Amino acid sequence: MITDFLNGEYVHEVQILIFSLTLGGVYALMASGLTLVFGVMRIVNLAHPAFIFIAAYISYYAFTELNLDPMESILINVPLMFIFGVIVYRVFLASGADQPRYTEKTVLLTFALALMIEGVLGYLFTGANRSTTPTYTTEVFFTGEAQYLVPKAQLYALLMSLVLIIFTWSFLQFTRMGYAIRATMQNRAAAQTVGVNVKWVSTFSFGMGTALAGAAGALMSFLFSFFPNTHWEWVALLLSLIVLGGMGSLVGAVVGAFLLAGTAGLVSDAYGPSWSPLTFYAALFLILLIRPQGLFGKKLEMT
Amino acid sequence: MTSVPVSAQEQPLVRSKLKSKHSILGLIILLLFLFPLTQLITANNLNYYLHLMLFIFMYIAMASSWNILGGYAGYISLGHNVFFAVGGYFSSYLLLRDGYSPFFTAPIAGFVAMALAFLVGFITLRVRGPAFIISTIALVLVFRIRLDNWERLGGANGLKLPLIDLPVEQIKFPFYYGMLILAIITVYTSYRIRHSKFGLGLRAISQNETKAEASGIPTSFYKIFAFAISGYFVGVAGAMWGYYLTYITPSIFLLILVGAQMVLMCILGGRGTVAGPVIGAIIMIGTNEFFLSEFGSSELNIFGTGAILAAVLLFFPEGIVGSLRKIGRLPAILDWD
Repeated sequence: MITDFLNGEYVHEVQILIFSLTLGGVYALMASGLTLVFGVMRIVNLAHPAFIFIAAYISYYAFTELNLDPMESILINVPLMFIFGVIVYRVFLASGADQPRYTEKTVLLTFALALMIEGVLGYLFTGANRSTTPTYTTEVFFTGEAQYLVPKAQLYALLMSLVLIIFTWSFLQFTRMGYAIRATMQNRAAAQTVGVNVKWVSTFSFGMGTALAGAAGALMSFLFSFFPNTHWEWVALLLSLIVLGGMGSLVGAVVGAFLLAGTAGLVSDAYGPSWSPLTFYAALFLILLIRPQGLFGKKLEMT
Repeated sequence: MTSVPVSAQEQPLVRSKLKSKHSILGLIILLLFLFPLTQLITANNLNYYLHLMLFIFMYIAMASSWNILGGYAGYISLGHNVFFAVGGYFSSYLLLRDGYSPFFTAPIAGFVAMALAFLVGFITLRVRGPAFIISTIALVLVFRIRLDNWERLGGANGLKLPLIDLPVEQIKFPFYYGMLILAIITVYTSYRIRHSKFGLGLRAISQNETKAEASGIPTSFYKIFAFAISGYFVGVAGAMWGYYLTYITPSIFLLILVGAQMVLMCILGGRGTVAGPVIGAIIMIGTNEFFLSEFGSSELNIFGTGAILAAVLLFFPEGIVGSLRKIGRLPAILDWD
């Protein structure tokens, strides 16, 4: 197998994998905010892709009006989306967090939120496909003996995503706030008993999840074209990633993202691009059938 | 229903109230049946109102059908429009290929939707709560991709159906009566289920599935069966709706918004009550029509749907019927449980 790779037997497949796996990083970044929010607060945030879209529009206008590179507009998106997330959490989601059917309620509430955002975006920006076009979107690197094409934009996005994910992971792992967040993830009541301010931790983590959506939106603005009502496709895609990886697990989201991005790339190559989203949904049904808690998830009482 | 004994003096009063309620509801249904006929006698063109009313009847049927799973059993499906699409495509395809009228194939289309629900429910109803909801969204997108690429069924362009062969003043009659009868049957079924052992089991599942299982309720069979029944009526509605529109495309049936409307109507009216979906459907279609004619923008309509849903969830999670009942102000005419 390895020698086949070296002998250039699988040039085409390797090229496909390069294309799709470089997108995996962005999928992982998009999913990381979603899985964090689920992990801490048991909120299934169906509006997460809608948040990503808001950020993409901010980046779009930063690019067209202020001539700001989408990578740079991450610096605008992150604080703005953090504040937006805190407000959304406080207004819509904060109450009733300890009630039994909270998760289900949040699904419906964030669903409503997604509809509202879709309506506003559609009204403000009309239904035109948009994307930002910094110069590197059309450039490529050539690498290896087989002269593999590596699109610059995708490579930059991959590196930026990995940096942000590692940053998030270190934050959760090594800071005091990170301890508090992980404690709340493990056991909300116990965390409260030992003096964690779970209310503030929840608000902060929701803001953090939204800020991650903000960063992802900036990257998305030059990788994909976006259109107000296409965020539903992303909902199912991202949810299938985190269901595969295990809801609430950051590592799971990253593994799930690369796994599915690679598979979807190969499927798209073999059967045509319109079938590649089916990979994600098929994976979702399969994982629900075989291992509902996902690859890295703990068994959850899903109520 | 409740075990509170009714004293001998009160009993005749309750019975007469019940009787008058039944006669009022009967009268309303009779008037609804007679309403289109006035178009034949007077020269007024009522087609717009007929359209609006049959649209309401359709959503009453779909929301009540959704309520069987989402209200009684507490499993929220955001993908019920898949059954709508399956019913629509099944009947439309048979109409184009063999010329069978969708009015005859609609009940069969319902069974096709039901079979699909059995299949899907067998997989997805193993998980509870959010994971189930997610799987229903994925179901919509799977069908969207499948139908967009299904050449025999017209792909993304869909199918064109022949116009029903009737003079213009009667053209909406079969659809009006079809949807009205469907709505009545669905609401009646929903009522009967609520008062059956099966319905009691479903409500136990929505309260606490583990305890329900422990007390001997075959929960997985009940859930799957509830999913199948609630797919049935939506499938029948889809069959008639496709014929009514005279064309059928994935983008009409498989919008997330269509599935969301059923959910919203039930939650607005009161989840798990018989009258809730009916009231929810009437209010939602009414306000939608108002917004569309006043503001004309579908974007604001999407926003409005979301805003109403959020407001109801935050402030009246039990919906109109549930909230009124809680404060003891539910008018007897709306108490169908």
